Amino acid sequence: MDSETAKPSKYERFKIETKPARHVYQIPNKFDVSAKKVRLAAMLVHEAFEYKLNKEVVLSRPCIYGVFGGRFGGFKPLKHKCVGCMRCVQEYPHIMTVKHSDSYKRLGDSFWTPEAVFTIWNEASTGKIPVKGMGYKGAFGGEGFDGIWTDMSEIVRPTRDGVYGREYISTSVDVGRKPTSVDFNKIDRAPSTVEIPVPIIFDKVPVGNGPIRSAVGMAAEKLGTFYISRSRTPFDFGPANLIPIVDEETIQDLVERPAAIVEYDADRADIFEKLRSALPSSIVIARLPLHEDSGTVACKLAREGVHGLHLYADYHGQDYSKQPQHISASLKVVHQQLVKEGLRDQVTIIASGGITLAEHVPKAIICGADLVGIDTTVLVALQAEFKGETRDRTNCQMKPREIDPEWGAQRLVNLMGVWHDQLIEILSAMGMRDVRRLRGDIGRSMMDAELREQSFKGIAWAT
Amino acid sequence: MGNLELIVEKHSERIHHGLEVLPTLRHGLPAGLGNKRWTAELILATYEMALTGELPKNGLEYKTGDSGGGFDVLGWKNNGFAKIDQNTVDLSIELNKREEGRKIEIPLPIYGGGMSFGSISLNFMLARARAAKKIGTYMSTGEGGYPDAIVPYRDHVITQVATGMFGVREETIQYAPIVEFKYAQGAKPGLGGHLLADKVTSEVAKMRESSMFTSLYSPFPFHSVYSVEDHKKHVDWIKTVNPRALVSVKVSTPTDVDMVAIGSYYAGANIIHIDGGYGGTGAAPEIAKKNIAMPIEYAIPKVHDYLVSEGVRDQVVLIASGGIRTADDIAKVIALGADGCVVATAEAVAVGCTHCGNCERGRGCQVGITTTDPELSQFIDPEWGETRIVNLFTAWSKRLRSILAGFGLESVRDLRGRRDLLVR
Repeated sequence: MDSETAKPSKYERFKIETKPARHVYQIPNKFDVSAKKVRLAAMLVHEAFEYKLNKEVVLSRPCIYGVFGGRFGGFKPLKHKCVGCMRCVQEYPHIMTVKHSDSYKRLGDSFWTPEAVFTIWNEASTGKIPVKGMGYKGAFGGEGFDGIWTDMSEIVRPTRDGVYGREYISTSVDVGRKPTSVDFNKIDRAPSTVEIPVPIIFDKVPVGNGPIRSAVGMAAEKLGTFYISRSRTPFDFGPANLIPIVDEETIQDLVERPAAIVEYDADRADIFEKLRSALPSSIVIARLPLHEDSGTVACKLAREGVHGLHLYADYHGQDYSKQPQHISASLKVVHQQLVKEGLRDQVTIIASGGITLAEHVPKAIICGADLVGIDTTVLVALQAEFKGETRDRTNCQMKPREIDPEWGAQRLVNLMGVWHDQLIEILSAMGMRDVRRLRGDIGRSMMDAELREQSFKGIAWAT
Repeated sequence: MGNLELIVEKHSERIHHGLEVLPTLRHGLPAGLGNKRWTAELILATYEMALTGELPKNGLEYKTGDSGGGFDVLGWKNNGFAKIDQNTVDLSIELNKREEGRKIEIPLPIYGGGMSFGSISLNFMLARARAAKKIGTYMSTGEGGYPDAIVPYRDHVITQVATGMFGVREETIQYAPIVEFKYAQGAKPGLGGHLLADKVTSEVAKMRESSMFTSLYSPFPFHSVYSVEDHKKHVDWIKTVNPRALVSVKVSTPTDVDMVAIGSYYAGANIIHIDGGYGGTGAAPEIAKKNIAMPIEYAIPKVHDYLVSEGVRDQVVLIASGGIRTADDIAKVIALGADGCVVATAEAVAVGCTHCGNCERGRGCQVGITTTDPELSQFIDPEWGETRIVNLFTAWSKRLRSILAGFGLESVRDLRGRRDLLVR
């Protein structure tokens, strides 16, 4: 075939287009740099004599980031430029002080650390992966996702891709029920699955105004993913990407304009049958709080024919058991019980609650989810204010801002772009070409508690 | 002297003075300094040791950080042992336990890890090379080539061969007493390396045979190595070019790190170097540092025990790195099962690093360590840096001797695998 008759390929590699969407509302300075002014003045006089009034030398500042580059130098430092390198303190320890600012330390709540809030802000703003030098700086391990490390492959790994683009790594997942066998004598009227290009959807926004919901809808549409809402409005933005949470009263509305995917609260067992008959072409997902009996309930729902389960914890990632445990633990229990009962491949699991950083996505999938939903993270990306503890799903203490929906959508697209890139980094390191393979693959992860017992076996406890 | 020289001199003096004053705590503990792994006290204690060659005497914590796990929750048993004289304790280890090949011993169970030219300044590289020579140990080039300025120290320089093959030439392999294959690194396991465009100056580009101010990636993995047999071909290649060289294999810490180690042994490696995720000096995605591969504290016993069970432990040297900050960390590494360790960040802290992590931003490191900026690089005088690093290692030796003497152990080799001496 010559080049003139060759048809152009329809193949397009999935890519999320990010572009800067700067903070609209001023964010606190991370560092608070200040000088003891009398000592600073004395130092300047001293250096003026030492360097014989050589202005260039005397006024050369101990900062390469321009903190003292303002008209008043160290007397009025440009605090927003400080990155905490501490060189000014090293050079002039008797004059300079650099500390984390009080407004930075107040960010978030008991779950959302200031660092996590800053990370989301910067990811949403720049669309770039956080990269730093000089190693890891945080806690050794921790509870929940912090106590999980993902595996890597040393040499047997032909799928190097990362963010640099060689072989393709798929982050697509399917939502819906998959038949376990093919019956050629039966016309299967069950809805087909829906494929989405990233294993992340926007869960019901905890609080929000019209522009915020619009931003979420627009972002979902741009990304090709879905957003969940209890209300079917606004329909102006991305209606095809809406997953409505339906009850008896709203079923009828959907008959005229059926959604591809619908959710219902699992405690309303009667609704599932109604949904199945009223919306035969929709994928029906039961929304279920995680607790001690979630595994049993999940198996029962799967047997009854639901197409998926949306398992949720509270906004701090704790389940609703009498002794709350992290979503990573309860998710594993449900996943493994479904596997044991031979039901796992029949249902899709969406996990939400406490999914606040990029690494939580692969870790939740390792624990058994097919995909995750994000909630408070959306509000953080859109610069909502923390006004108290936002743990309870019925009592969100975050105050949304007035935003431009276009700006908000770009922030969310940026965030998803960065999370997508980081997911690819994790998959790439593991030598996986497909995020679907990661589901429940606990063998490709390492748990802090288990490793500690294996490796520190024989080490006595301090008395 | 021109203004530029005066400015460099002024700030160098101020920085060096600050490194002396800060550990005295005369101005208090700097509030914004440090983090959970490298606490403010640990950083200042390292400055103090680098200044004096002695352990801090003013109560600064110099043994552990505040990470809440790993080395920071391990301690030492403190009773029931017959102490011996510290001066009789031998800290040397051998780097080749095979019958064949050159015998190399280092006087401390420590050598310097790979930090490439381009990611660090030439002056800091020289300081490390000089310190390695003075101590009688080694430092690794990292994957950035072999600048002519370090050739005089070549008997103490490990040539690193990594996936980008930057600066790997026949003569640089022939110089080397030890050649290090970097299959992976703990801070970005499975992700290769990345030198951001700003740091690729004309000198760096020339050394790496690339274009100026263009980002350079080291791919992952070696695309010529997909099996132990392929790896053996690599080892054979090095031994053909330089039959006298020992071969070290640097790998990360996946779930099957024990299998990787045994494979490396059978491929002919003299040193198996496992690199955990919590160290590293170069730029790395934050998600990789925290989340991929296991911390070194957990990997060492796994590898050590497996090599013992396979009956080859005494034929191969196990070296650990990745977040080793103090003399106590070094002793714990050995008690967990390694022969010795590799450090890099601590050397940077010795010459003024604050562990702020802004290495890749703008002009690079503000005190001249991880930078190619011609002005900033001058803050590290190689001779001054050499003294600081030697002092740090000297202070560490004293602490190591104190630990060993407290347990009645005459040699650091006797500490290997003695988990019974640790408490948690």
